Amino acid sequence: MVKESNTSIKKKRKTADGEKEIQTDLYKKVVEFEEKEAVNHDSSQDAKIFFELCQDIREDLQQIHMQKKNGSAKESVFKDLQVDIFIKLCIIKKLNRIDKLKHVAGREALAIEKQKCDSIKLNYQNLVYELQHLVGEIKKCLAFKSKDEDIDLVPFEEFMKDAPKSLTEKFVKYDPEDPEQTHSLRLTRLEWELTQRKNLAQLCKSLIEDQQKLEQDLVEHREKLSALGPLLANVVKATHPLQEHLQISENERRVEHRLASLLPEALYIFYVHIAAYRSVHNIKLEVEVLGDESDALQWKEAAELSDVPNEEESEQEADTQEVEDVVKTKKRRHRKSAIQEVDPLEEKKKRLLKSHPLCVQVTAAIDEKFSLVMKLNYYDKLKIITVISEVNLPSDITANTASEILCGESVLSGLTDDDDDGRECPNPAVSYQLKRAGFTSFTQLVPEIGHPYRWAQRVCGTDFLTQQTNSSQIANSNVETVVKSLFKSLHARYDLAKQMQMLEQNMVSEVPASLDLPPILGSAPSKWSSATYHQFCQAEFTQHQIEEELVSSSDTFYSLRVSRDNAVLEAFVVIKKYYPEVAPIFALCLNFEKKRHHSLNCEDIREIERVINTSWTTGSGKESSWLLAAQVTYLCSCLDMFLETTFPAKFSQKTSFIWSSCGRNRRRPFKYKKMGTGLFTQY
Amino acid sequence: MVNKLNKNFYNTVLCQAFSPCGNYLAVGDIYGVVSIFHLSRVVQADNESIITKEQLLPKYQIEVKKDYQINSLLTAKSHLLIGSVGTIYAYVWKNIRSSKNVTAAWSIDIPNKKDTFERTEVNCMLHSEKTDFIYAACDKNIYIYDLESRIAVKVLENHTDYLHSLYINGNDLISGGEDGIVNIWDLRLHKVSNKIEPYKDEKLARTEPHLGKWIGAVGGNEDYILCGGGPRLSLWHYRFLSNFTIFPIEDTGIHVAEIYQDRILAGGRSKFFYQMSFSAEVISEIPTTAVTTYSAAHQDEPFKVLTLAGSSGKIDVCNFMYKNQQLSLY
Repeated sequence: MVKESNTSIKKKRKTADGEKEIQTDLYKKVVEFEEKEAVNHDSSQDAKIFFELCQDIREDLQQIHMQKKNGSAKESVFKDLQVDIFIKLCIIKKLNRIDKLKHVAGREALAIEKQKCDSIKLNYQNLVYELQHLVGEIKKCLAFKSKDEDIDLVPFEEFMKDAPKSLTEKFVKYDPEDPEQTHSLRLTRLEWELTQRKNLAQLCKSLIEDQQKLEQDLVEHREKLSALGPLLANVVKATHPLQEHLQISENERRVEHRLASLLPEALYIFYVHIAAYRSVHNIKLEVEVLGDESDALQWKEAAELSDVPNEEESEQEADTQEVEDVVKTKKRRHRKSAIQEVDPLEEKKKRLLKSHPLCVQVTAAIDEKFSLVMKLNYYDKLKIITVISEVNLPSDITANTASEILCGESVLSGLTDDDDDGRECPNPAVSYQLKRAGFTSFTQLVPEIGHPYRWAQRVCGTDFLTQQTNSSQIANSNVETVVKSLFKSLHARYDLAKQMQMLEQNMVSEVPASLDLPPILGSAPSKWSSATYHQFCQAEFTQHQIEEELVSSSDTFYSLRVSRDNAVLEAFVVIKKYYPEVAPIFALCLNFEKKRHHSLNCEDIREIERVINTSWTTGSGKESSWLLAAQVTYLCSCLDMFLETTFPAKFSQKTSFIWSSCGRNRRRPFKYKKMGTGLFTQY
Repeated sequence: MVNKLNKNFYNTVLCQAFSPCGNYLAVGDIYGVVSIFHLSRVVQADNESIITKEQLLPKYQIEVKKDYQINSLLTAKSHLLIGSVGTIYAYVWKNIRSSKNVTAAWSIDIPNKKDTFERTEVNCMLHSEKTDFIYAACDKNIYIYDLESRIAVKVLENHTDYLHSLYINGNDLISGGEDGIVNIWDLRLHKVSNKIEPYKDEKLARTEPHLGKWIGAVGGNEDYILCGGGPRLSLWHYRFLSNFTIFPIEDTGIHVAEIYQDRILAGGRSKFFYQMSFSAEVISEIPTTAVTTYSAAHQDEPFKVLTLAGSSGKIDVCNFMYKNQQLSLY
């Protein structure tokens, strides 16, 4: 219908231009009106009208149809009905138009709304994009790390202390909660750090310069010194004719010193230290290097040669090589045949027990008569020092026990350690070496090779415990103590020997008057002989001392007999290594009238033992000359006292005392007081 | 290098005393030292806890008079009385226990009448609750001191040689000493009312005559007197003073003899410490560490214990039947 109207309008435009304006105007108005109508019309109402009209038309048509059928129709009725139908059709047409217009309007409205929606969506997408960008930026900010965080700064307290006041002033009331202040503090500290580092770098540079300068100086000095050496040698050479002319002989010492330089390192260390010690202290000690110089030179060369291969391995190699290599093995075959002649094991043993051709001999003398000579040997394979000792006995010592106590072993064992008797090898590796070579024990070798005392290893700078070898420091710290205790031991043993010499002749050497000891009146020693640890252990009256471990097998044992009439006192005397610091220990047993009284069944003998063993204050070192004699003297008088107070009928009183017993323990008066002719009391 | 043989190896303990609380034991030795042991810790130790060597050593030592032997100890009220030579010293137990301010609270010098050589060893001390007197056997005499004033109340003189042991029985005081006589004193009259002389009895004599006639210990109860020493240990009727029982134990001198409940405790120069019935049946023999037992101390409260000391540096702690611990002076 619109098309129709448009075409009609076009037709109208073509027909008249004058009417054109009015027509368009009208057209416009009509359109506007129609549009308005369309807008205002209720479409549901329209639909209702439409359906009613359709129904009416149908009814009308029905009516026409019916009437036509019946043939009773009148033309006018038909006509009315037809008009009615046409009118109704026109209304329907109008409705259709309105509907079309309405549809157009609705589409336009939709288009507008759609546009609006699009723009909003675009806006929204922009915003989302912006948001993502911002989030990314924030993340970047958060992940930011400044370089200064890696720098180690001076701690805050130190900074406050060391930095100039102008810097620190602001932070006196520093509040760590305040981020601004924290930041500025950090900046200041960084600045301070920078200045300090600059200063230090400068300092370092100047120090390095100094060092270089010193190094240069050193090089110069060294050059000067090395130039001095040949010059000095020339001077020494030049003095030779003069020395010869003046007959000044320094040769002996020089020879010895030359020999010393060939000594194995361990002995050399000892030689140097002992010689140095002797030169400072005024003691009767002589040091010599013994041995053949050419042997030593050979040894040295051999040692340098055999540095590389293990001997046993090379021997085995020789067997296989022999066949192929005829020319070279000439020497070896020779050697092999030599080995075949002798038992190879014997040869091995011999080699193992070969000592260095040079040895150091030390002679210690305490007077003209008595001196001790010890030779220190070095066993290269066993890596130990052994000592062979010899004693020059004075002519006045003839007794067995006395010479026994003076023998080198007795003097030297336990010089510094209690159990150092030189029978065990200080080097733990040796026992395995010996086993390989076919020896059963080290102890059986001792008489042959000498005693490897622990002190001997130490004065030569070896300590097997701490695995140090050839240490000059160890030697230095030990030489003095060893020499001192050697002399102490020598003196003590010599004094003991003198006292034993007397005892073996059944006499007691004199004791100093200051000791307040009673004279020997009744009882007297009647026998002095050496004894063994085994004998000591077998006696029934020594059990208490064994139980308390007062004696050990390394002590020296003697048996003493003191008698008066038919009363015989048997005693064991145990001499410790540390005589006189530790007084000899006596164990007593009195045989009288078929009864044995000893300290395990008789109170009084126990008391005598106590008095003899404990009433000495030792430590000054001077007791050695009288301690044993004093003990024997005291023992004799105590025995007198015991016999006279216990069996007054059988022993006439020679001693004088006031009370024969006192106290609940019926104590005997074993204490002697020099009052008048001498008096025994309990206190 | 340590000299293992020290003086204490040959030490001899002559007397013992418990503290008033019973937890401590004081022993006096020949070097003039009183050693205090914390006995309760040793005796009452739990089975689980092991007693260390240190707990068996003296907790504290007092050197009373150097090298003058301590012959007797007595706990009288709160004091420990120490009988040395010539003097009785008193120490307060409270101070000894705390090891603070340990000095003699007071002392009594025994009168020395004749010369400097008189033996004024205080060999035995007894305290009588009834009269609050101290009976001290010094040399030949028995001095009676009032504990409060420390004034000599009386001196009992009759013995001809020094005394070894005292025993109080009601109004009677029994004393025995080196002269071999056991005197029974009437304390109301301060006179000897009776005496016995065991050495005169042939049945009590020993095969070794040199052991002598001395009486080393006396004891008793209402009906009997117990004594021994050089002569054998024997029980006597109090009323008739006749020999009732001779104890056949192996010894060469009695130093400890006591009637305890219905038993007789005896020790001395013997390998054992004996417990016997009145009819001389041996109930127990405890082997002693000491060659001679000089002192046997026992108590029932706070714990039952018997300690034996003598010529040894060790002290045996027993439960009356066997030895279970050993205190040591070194």
